[in-house]
Amino acid sequence: MFAKSSNRVAVVASAQTSLKSRWANRQHVDLISEAVSAALKGSGLRIEDVDFVIDSGSDILDGRSISNCGFLGAMGAHHKEESRVEEDGLWAALYGATKIGAGSAEVGLLIGYSKPSEGDVSAFYWSQVEPFYQRPVGFGHEAASGLQAQSYLAEHGHSEEIFADVVAHDWAKAATNPWVETDDVPAADAIRASAVVAAPLRELELARAVDGAVAVVITSQRVAERVCPTPVWITGIGTAIDQHAFARRERGSLPAAKVAAEAAYKRAGIGDPTKLSIAEVSASSAATQLMVLEALGLASPGGAPALYRDGSEIHLNPSGGSLPADPIMATGLVRLSEASLQLADRVDHAPAGATSAVVHGAGGVGMQNHCVFTLEV
Amino acid sequence: MEAKAATPVMMRGEGLGSAPGENPTFAGRIELPYTLTTGRAASVFLAELANHKLVGSRCEKCGDVAVPAQDFCAACGETTAADFEVAPTGALTGFTATPAGVLAMIRLDGADCDLVHKVLDAELADLEVGTRVAARWAASPAGSMLDVEGFEVSDAAAAGEWPQPFEATADVEPVLEQSYDLRLDYDHAFGPYYGTLFDGIATSRRIQGVRCPRCTCVLVPPREYCDACFVRTEEWVDVADTGTIKAFSVIHMEFVGQVREPPYVYAEIVLDGSATRLIHSIGGIDVEEAKERLHTGMKVRAVWKDAEPTGSLEDIDYFEPVFD
Repeated sequence: MFAKSSNRVAVVASAQTSLKSRWANRQHVDLISEAVSAALKGSGLRIEDVDFVIDSGSDILDGRSISNCGFLGAMGAHHKEESRVEEDGLWAALYGATKIGAGSAEVGLLIGYSKPSEGDVSAFYWSQVEPFYQRPVGFGHEAASGLQAQSYLAEHGHSEEIFADVVAHDWAKAATNPWVETDDVPAADAIRASAVVAAPLRELELARAVDGAVAVVITSQRVAERVCPTPVWITGIGTAIDQHAFARRERGSLPAAKVAAEAAYKRAGIGDPTKLSIAEVSASSAATQLMVLEALGLASPGGAPALYRDGSEIHLNPSGGSLPADPIMATGLVRLSEASLQLADRVDHAPAGATSAVVHGAGGVGMQNHCVFTLEV
Repeated sequence: MEAKAATPVMMRGEGLGSAPGENPTFAGRIELPYTLTTGRAASVFLAELANHKLVGSRCEKCGDVAVPAQDFCAACGETTAADFEVAPTGALTGFTATPAGVLAMIRLDGADCDLVHKVLDAELADLEVGTRVAARWAASPAGSMLDVEGFEVSDAAAAGEWPQPFEATADVEPVLEQSYDLRLDYDHAFGPYYGTLFDGIATSRRIQGVRCPRCTCVLVPPREYCDACFVRTEEWVDVADTGTIKAFSVIHMEFVGQVREPPYVYAEIVLDGSATRLIHSIGGIDVEEAKERLHTGMKVRAVWKDAEPTGSLEDIDYFEPVFD
């Protein structure tokens, strides 16, 4: 859709705050304004040039209703068109890119923010669970992640040892990323020794919730070619949602992520996704990360552990991904920002010679909802 | 939202010397009481648990039997009803253990999908995919999913043929509503700007704002970026505890989160030296008299509480009108 159209859409700038377990001395607005001002700085665009703002966050996490209304000043949204998506930030990018691709605007500012440290992450997911049949028995996001992991291992005959390899890989990558605060970088042995919290998953095999904000500027081709020496083109987008009832979903695979990826690849004309340079993906656990990589067509079903054991052509989560740093609701937009910065070669942890990327975001208990972008330079 | 308790510790902002990362936080709580409507199928399913029946819905179009009963077929979208019963026995298809206990996906005999529920008195090591389980019924049913206390490992085979057409039990009232109280607790950061404002109030009844270098407005409460200009504010400015009424209203109604007993007067006040409107109460005047004598544009001054300051705008008891 975008690649073939004259209305191509590009990521021209992005920035984020440091992602860390707890930003005890910053409000949401302090984090948001830091990310927005840093994204605009040096972009060749001013806040006056921004046609619309689409932001992503959670009222439950933020502790106030319609929380974006209180954050407008920090977002630079005064007297602008502003919409809030109560979904992962990659959906903000989806709506923004669609808007520009359709020709109704030229410069969009996308914002994701999160301070899960102020509330209770379990309660955030708990609030999403069906109240009559599932909430009373104690079903929540951690249980969903454990059930997914158990099913993945059972379906493919893998040992739970594989999960620590995934986590160790991503933490090692995060340690090279100046925007992720990593005090201790756990090695595989330490991960395998951490407490079991949702069997077979251990504490360090679940994503670490972090505070932070991210801002991404997307523009039309006309504006991108005027202001940006290295625009990163959005070539495909796909999104798909699975059933709300967890019992009705596949547990050892993520078919909705597969549908989303196939839609994005079709639009981008990508026949073999394993030839892409970079994958920046989101996952709630090491198990679902393997399932995401398989859904994206980067490995066969049950084959993703080999990408970590034997190495892979495609660069997996050069930023570290969501396991070391999951700013819930902003996670997918951080992936888009990261992949764009890496393709534009504007960060030191960018893989050399990378020209294309697949970006994935997810939302909901047990990753019900999925969004996939493809990018190229 | 209401504060759980006053935060006694000072120095919330960085401006007055606290160490980053050690700042006290503001405790907030949201409590939302709900009365949830169960709907057609769930109202029957929940009621029949008291009769030790597990009611599902069978799709007339595709034949899929969902348990618990659903209003719509997940497989094809057809409208369904609580019209089939499955066995209180089944087999595990998956399981996990969290601090809340062992949870499993259970394929009940006669069902075409799994049910998520607790497995009681079992260690994970005892469980396998295919392990047989049977429902343990609660002694005192309450119209909830926990009328099945959970499932226990049992070799019992399915007794009879399942699923079976379900006939509503005579004299069973459907469970039409369930109450649910959502309670969420927070520890909000003050951040350097609000923190500095509150620290100033706490230590010296000092109200500080910031000036936008572009529009020159002084903003209270202070913030890093001017809302209108999106320009970094930078300059701290002291503002007075006197000001001007821009608008006011006599509040008679009661509402959630109210901190004063109605009737009382609320006003938008522009503090002298600032450009923003602060919402606070007007006091020191009878409400009936206030209706007659208050007018926009009139001056007010803060009346501070005698109590030890807590470092919030509530340290100002109210603003009293200054009559010429």
